[in-house]
Amino acid sequence: MTIPLLTMWRSLLGREDDERRVRRATLRAAAASAAQASATIFLVLRRMRTPLIVLIVIFAVTVLGLTLIPGQDTEGRPWRMGFFDAFYVMSYTASTIGFGEIPYPFTYNQRMWVTISIYLTVIGWAYAIGSLLALLQDRAFRSALALQHFSRKVARLREPFVLVAGHGRAGELLGQALDALGRRFVVLDLDGERIDALELGSYHADVPGLAADARDPGHLAVAGLDHPCCEAVVALTDDEEANLGVVMAAALLRPDLPVIARATSRAMAERMRAFGSPDVVDPFDRFGDHLRLALRAPASYQLLTWLEAGPGADLPPRGTPPHSGRWVVCGYGRLGRELTRDLRAEGIRVTVVDTAPQDAEADGLLVLDGSHPGALAEAGLEDATGFVAGTDNDTANLSLVAAARRANPSLFVAARQNRPANAPLFAAMEADALLVPTEVIAHEVYAQLSTPLLWRFLREMPARGDAWAAALVDRLTGLCGPQLQALWKVRLTATEAPALTGWLAPGTTRLGDLLRNPEDRDEHLHAIVLLILRGGEALLAPDGDVVLRPDDELLLAGWSAARRALGTTLVVDAVREYVLTGRRIPSSWIWRKLTRAPVSSGEPAPRPTAPTPS
Amino acid sequence: MNLEKVVFGFFVLLAATLNFGFFIGDISDPALHNHYELFAAVVVSFIATVLKFGDRTQLGAVHLSTSLVADLQLIGASLLYGYAEYVSSAGMTPAWTASVVSLSGGALLANLVSVVLLVVETVSFHRG
Repeated sequence: MTIPLLTMWRSLLGREDDERRVRRATLRAAAASAAQASATIFLVLRRMRTPLIVLIVIFAVTVLGLTLIPGQDTEGRPWRMGFFDAFYVMSYTASTIGFGEIPYPFTYNQRMWVTISIYLTVIGWAYAIGSLLALLQDRAFRSALALQHFSRKVARLREPFVLVAGHGRAGELLGQALDALGRRFVVLDLDGERIDALELGSYHADVPGLAADARDPGHLAVAGLDHPCCEAVVALTDDEEANLGVVMAAALLRPDLPVIARATSRAMAERMRAFGSPDVVDPFDRFGDHLRLALRAPASYQLLTWLEAGPGADLPPRGTPPHSGRWVVCGYGRLGRELTRDLRAEGIRVTVVDTAPQDAEADGLLVLDGSHPGALAEAGLEDATGFVAGTDNDTANLSLVAAARRANPSLFVAARQNRPANAPLFAAMEADALLVPTEVIAHEVYAQLSTPLLWRFLREMPARGDAWAAALVDRLTGLCGPQLQALWKVRLTATEAPALTGWLAPGTTRLGDLLRNPEDRDEHLHAIVLLILRGGEALLAPDGDVVLRPDDELLLAGWSAARRALGTTLVVDAVREYVLTGRRIPSSWIWRKLTRAPVSSGEPAPRPTAPTPS
Repeated sequence: MNLEKVVFGFFVLLAATLNFGFFIGDISDPALHNHYELFAAVVVSFIATVLKFGDRTQLGAVHLSTSLVADLQLIGASLLYGYAEYVSSAGMTPAWTASVVSLSGGALLANLVSVVLLVVETVSFHRG
């Protein structure tokens, strides 16, 4: 008996030790960065020493001189200026205010001394103020101030937040989606302009941002890696090494945090996976997967992209990529390789066109200059069914799409857009499928961060098949329209659904009864339950007959109004009573006593023939 | 020899000696307490304070705080002196003189702490 206890105790202690070690390391990292900031301020103080001492000495000498030089009062008697008078005169003289000669008109001796004093003090002031202004303009000083301001803001955060390293296009899209969900986030980016743009961005919440290198663990710690409210770390910088650095720092300093990182090569993804279990998002790999899904199940793909696009997204059109025939892929870089592999895995013949491929052994590879007229004809576009313009040059992609369309107007055309500025051109081109790597990343990270239920749904949904997805899309659009207004989670626990606790235990409450309008219960709420998580088991898109149990977690999609209505049903007893049974009971205690309505028990009472008037 | 240390030690010690010179003598006799000496003590104390700016060590921080205490006491003493000389009609009475000198005595204590710190710093440096 003692041995298991001991081992348990030891393992507990060991874990505590581990936690303490990690905690210490994080604190050290933060302290190093904070010390860096205070060091700069000490440097500034140190640099102000000379100007201040010069000023003090000049004042002392001039004041002392005034008290020593003999003067005379109005009647010509000898008189010496006291320290107070001298200090007063020098103060207003030095600051060039000049009240005149007080308390008595000066003698020539005194005037000579005051003349010298004026020049001395003006030089002293100019030197001191000039040094101070120069220091305030100093870059090191300003960045130290920014760092202090930032760390204070982050330390003051009292709600869960996401630490986003890298605020390029993907980071910006992710930030907007998180902000629309009412989630907080903190940004680190190397580029000061992007951090300045944060303040101009119209976010609902204040977004603390720091222009600093995310590879430095100290900066990560200041940005909240060691903050108890930090709930996830996202590494989205352009620099793969920097992303790896963020993953490493997060895995070593806060092993409990989920980490999502962007990587565009398999080797880098493997290196990241060596640290903990980060979710690595590879836009090209994901686009390949999406394309496979789109080939096999267009409706599933449509549902996936719709839910991933975030709140307020319109229903994307359902594409019909040709599943048979031959595809032509232009550009055999990272995207080209992934796509070719995925398409071949689907059993599709692929012809690859590239000007200078690094890997010439792939079969079906044509070394051609795609921009050369006639080159595409050689690739056999006339009898192809699909075409991918996947080079890393937007101009080349646009011209490839145009050339391909001219060669074969019935082609299914997919294009890759690299720069956000070119979005209008690609939109005008009306490609059948558009890959924007940054958007793929932002949507993917959003789906993982928004709620774990959505991520679960998106992973399990493709297995249900195309017809199932098409039916769900029809249900969603039929009930909520072609725009996804809100996506939210409800837990049927005693704290989140207090009005429902007694009703759930007997297992008689059906989902369809709950989703009724509190104004008129014959009307269904404009919302659909996408998933019920019960224990570890997920029920996808359950119908109205599913019986709810306590502690179920529901993922809903629908109108914002439906969200508010459901919230009322879950919290207010009288509304719940009406929605579930159709009875109207008074909501105030006195009126309930007066009407002697039956107090709601666990067992729903049989529905009365006529509703009780209230 | 470090010139910065020389200047620093010079001002810390000079602030203490000037203050001591002003403080010593019958506490209520204005003739024994020269106001030029008080002025010099104030100026040197200010300079010593500024010299202590920007020292990041623990000793540096204590140095700065003792200096600030001395400054505060000396400014108080100067204000009292100015009030007695210019505002009050009685001038430097024994009571006023005693107040001014006792305030400077407080500053002297702070200066002495500064000197002790200086000595401690020097000694520990040699041992280390």
